[in-house]
Amino acid sequence: MSHSDAKNIMVYVETVSDTPLNGGLEILTKAHKLAAARGEEVIAVLIGSNLEHAANTAIMAGADKVILVTKDNYEMEVYEAILTRLAEKYKPSLILSAGTLVGKDILPLVAGNLTTGCAVDVMEITDKDGNFVFTCPVYGGTVLNDLVIKGTPAVAAVRSGAFEKELVVERTGEIIKEQVGVENTVRAKIVEVVNEMAETVNLEEAQVIVSGGRGMGNKENFRLVEELALACHGVVGATRPAIEAEWVPRSHQVGQSGKIVAPKLYIACGISGATQHVSGMIGSGYIVAVNKDEDAPIFDIADVGIVGDVVKVVPLLIEEIKKIQSL
Amino acid sequence: MEMLVCIKQVPDDSVEISLDLGTKEPALIGVTPVVNAFDTYALEMAARLKETFGGEITVVSVGNDEVKNSLKNCLAVGADHAYLVKHEKSESLDPCGIANILKKAVHDIEGELETKFDLILCGKESTDYASSQVGLLLASKLRLPVATNIIKVEPMDGIMRIKQETEEGYRSIEAKTPCVVTVQKPDYDPRYPTIKSKMAARKKEIKELSPSEEVSSMLEVIRVFEPAKRVAGIKLKADNEQEVVAQAMSVMTAAKVF
Ligand SMILES: Cc1cc2nc3c(=O)[nH]c(=O)nc-3n(C[C@H](O)[C@H](O)[C@H](O)COP(=O)(O)OP(=O)(O)OC[C@H]3O[C@@H](n4cnc5c(N)ncnc54)[C@H](O)[C@@H]3O)c2cc1C
Repeated sequence: MSHSDAKNIMVYVETVSDTPLNGGLEILTKAHKLAAARGEEVIAVLIGSNLEHAANTAIMAGADKVILVTKDNYEMEVYEAILTRLAEKYKPSLILSAGTLVGKDILPLVAGNLTTGCAVDVMEITDKDGNFVFTCPVYGGTVLNDLVIKGTPAVAAVRSGAFEKELVVERTGEIIKEQVGVENTVRAKIVEVVNEMAETVNLEEAQVIVSGGRGMGNKENFRLVEELALACHGVVGATRPAIEAEWVPRSHQVGQSGKIVAPKLYIACGISGATQHVSGMIGSGYIVAVNKDEDAPIFDIADVGIVGDVVKVVPLLIEEIKKIQSL
Repeated sequence: MEMLVCIKQVPDDSVEISLDLGTKEPALIGVTPVVNAFDTYALEMAARLKETFGGEITVVSVGNDEVKNSLKNCLAVGADHAYLVKHEKSESLDPCGIANILKKAVHDIEGELETKFDLILCGKESTDYASSQVGLLLASKLRLPVATNIIKVEPMDGIMRIKQETEEGYRSIEAKTPCVVTVQKPDYDPRYPTIKSKMAARKKEIKELSPSEEVSSMLEVIRVFEPAKRVAGIKLKADNEQEVVAQAMSVMTAAKVF
């Protein structure tokens, strides 16, 4: 694709049960700011069925145009082909999506089809002299890289929680229905989709998160983490060892291979503070840590560190917080 | 079942890598090179498949001579053959460049071993750059089916039955062989080498391959920096838990946490 005629930002917005996922809406709001500064537009792409309501939400979040493509089921290769066709037709200078499993599957393939490059885990996007600059973590987030993509369009999958969503009811936009014919390209066929999570865990949007690690000792003690979360009106998080011990389902994992979170308050109980965990919660407003080892690395990033046994400290915390909450 | 596992050598992921303020590069001197954690999960998955279904495991990596050590380690935990695509500056390649080289390597190795791979396994991402794209792009270039983030794969009647981990649960995927998978951490850990397997690996040869023609990287790093550091707050210690918690609560209420 030639550089000269590429403009506007295309955002693929993933939907589940006809509802747009937050990640996509957050990106629309960011894209709106970037595009408006250039005098350009944001084109949202939604694929599925019954998407009229979702299209309106996308407009509220920042889309100037919403392209709707009707498809019943998700197939990676079909979605990849649709997005590639739309990019060829609309010639955006930037294609974005949330870094979900779907986003991280299709965007690199779309970039490959368009002989350009794709950045993933993007934490920030800036517009520098007409080039988009992407900030990405390396080595688990202890070092950051700013990178530019030399091909056109630039393609990037954004980390959850990187941007904030703003829904403006008064915004207006155009809804376009596109028919995109793709040959039957499916090589890996999805035969069953299983939802294992009894509850939906919204760690990304939680204001308070109470997380437990291996130091909780056993499943029974891990209940203390849940109780403390309940007392603070928070959501339960966990480290990988706590998940692997099956004290809590994997949807609660915080860190490099779990969720990236940024609550106002993060309470870490029996967590050592390994890079892979810390990179997922370092953006928290206020960090409280309880650990019996006074040299635990978690204390280097905690606003308040309590050196002590979780089994003794956490029940007291619960008691004190309940007192405050009932005032 | 004939399997190929793609390996990347990375700095030990348990070491916190900081920025060398002099060179403005990540400070990697003295950090032990290891096989990328997710690649070790892929190799373990292959080793278990070999135990059940037979066949051989080949490992391949792109890099300089230093990578041979990591390939030896793979030979000690289940791999039968090891190939190194010699490249002195593999760090300068983007995922597409690596996938291009691996595509040629797949054909070269299949020619040398006079075999066809049924399954190509990659880690779902590397612990250094975590771009999570090589497996996808390799499959795309080879025009093979691909499934990412998988925790199980099993051959059955000429197809591969794959379990892919999703945010909410999992998907069952069926793909014709050959296919490519990228491996997430399953609920088992990679095996350790034994003294005997290490000795045997040391005797094995690591064969060298030449890379494909270079494609220019689409990604250019323009700045390397460290995230804003958090300053440690206060650490409270006391022999009496009641007392520490009371102190902590007063600090938190003063900070208007509650
Ligand atoms: C590729 C890769 C990806 C990873 N992704 C993630 C990820 O997404 N999320 C994640 O969390 N981890 C991840 N990990 C694992 C990570 O490296 C650490 O192993 C993990 O975060 C440690 O968890 P932990 O703090 O619960 O356990 P540990 O490191 O074992 O720490 C337990 C802590 O509890 C303290 N303790 C013990 N008993 C008590 C007590 N009675 N009272 C108070 N304190 C006590 C100990 O002092 C210790 O500090 C990943 C690893 C790899 C290789």
